[in-house]
Amino acid sequence: MSRFLFPRWTNALLPLLLVAGATLPLYVVFVVAYGFSPKTLDVGYMPSQPVPYSHALHAGILGMDCRYCHNTVESAAFAAVPPTQTCMNCHTQIHRDSPKLVPVRQSYETGLSIPWAKVHKLPDYSYFDHSAHVNRGVGCVECHGRVDQMEVVWKDQPLSMGWCLDCHRDPTDRLRPVSQITNLAWDQKTQMTREERESLVKLYHINPSENCSTCHR
Amino acid sequence: MPRLIVYAILISGLLALLPPAIIARVRATPDPNPPVHIFHDMDFQTKYLPQSENAQYADGRAQRPPVLGAVARGETYADTHYYDGVSGGQWASAMPTQVPLTMELLQRGEARFNIYCTPCHGYDGAGNGIVNQRAIALVSNAAGPVNGTVWVQAKSVHDETVIVQPIGQIFNTITHGVRNMAGYGSQIPVEDRWAIAAYVRVLQRSQNATPDQVPADRRAGL
Repeated sequence: MSRFLFPRWTNALLPLLLVAGATLPLYVVFVVAYGFSPKTLDVGYMPSQPVPYSHALHAGILGMDCRYCHNTVESAAFAAVPPTQTCMNCHTQIHRDSPKLVPVRQSYETGLSIPWAKVHKLPDYSYFDHSAHVNRGVGCVECHGRVDQMEVVWKDQPLSMGWCLDCHRDPTDRLRPVSQITNLAWDQKTQMTREERESLVKLYHINPSENCSTCHR
Repeated sequence: MPRLIVYAILISGLLALLPPAIIARVRATPDPNPPVHIFHDMDFQTKYLPQSENAQYADGRAQRPPVLGAVARGETYADTHYYDGVSGGQWASAMPTQVPLTMELLQRGEARFNIYCTPCHGYDGAGNGIVNQRAIALVSNAAGPVNGTVWVQAKSVHDETVIVQPIGQIFNTITHGVRNMAGYGSQIPVEDRWAIAAYVRVLQRSQNATPDQVPADRRAGL
């Protein structure tokens, strides 16, 4: 019985195998970390909406304040999607025959909700509070991006736990005066010095907790 | 080395570039499909969040409106001065006792006015906010009003008929609207509506003042 002998060319494979053995785990780690990251999976979610409502027009060109519609944001945990009445404050008169507004008019007549698609979803075990943030100098733009330039709203930031903690560990650079809270074009990094932002930490008594129970109950 | 092995190594090397390329593309493009959830943990629980859906009800709303005729504690609305701007059967001419006239209140009123009123009435209250400008442009379109737009010039708060109104009437207009203006009673809390009414008075004073009403030490700046 003859012994099996590896052919001579397999010797060339040995260094290749060593290289593959060293790079393959790194490659897998890279693909998983990069591919499963919330920045890949969550950012960029842009559901189609029942009405082609343009934030770029209303909040951008018209310059309407975010709180005209999302009026609960300063007093409640939840920044409410406005009732159809808010749309009809103007649209009983302006563009009142527009085909784009058919679902709005139907909702106004029937009293049924417009089925807006929710863009910014958090896990059900996290209890984010809008009022706690916007009343203490965290602007809308920090989490929602330049909504005033979006025709259709997309998810601009990952809203993952690590991303929340980045700011909770050092909020200084994310703070602005409360008077600029809905001004999406205003950037505290160019408009204020680091010292001025540090003074906001004291002014607003900002002590962001990293306790589990801060966000999870 | 056999050709087959060489090709296999080259092809697997090229294939290994595919996942990073796909991931880079996913990162760079918006996606209308719900995000892929690798680990569900307890992200989706059988509970109702604000403004969520509940198919059990005909209107699909999980949040239920109060039963008709229900009165919540502290919401009897018996204080007509505070809730309606009516005192002794007439428009109240003073602020209600719950909302004392302070500098903070006027600043609050300014901020609220700038959110809810300026789109039509403008920052100076003269009635030429950006929505008013836009609506007039739509109405006066050469080929006819765009999408059936109708518009009446927004009222100036400096109009003689508004200046003579008691503050309670201005509060009532904010709450219930008037003519083509919608009511903001459900959109703005009652205290903020009083703050706005007080700020409307500030605008009226400031835009219709005479030089001798300016404090002596500020007149040089005029």
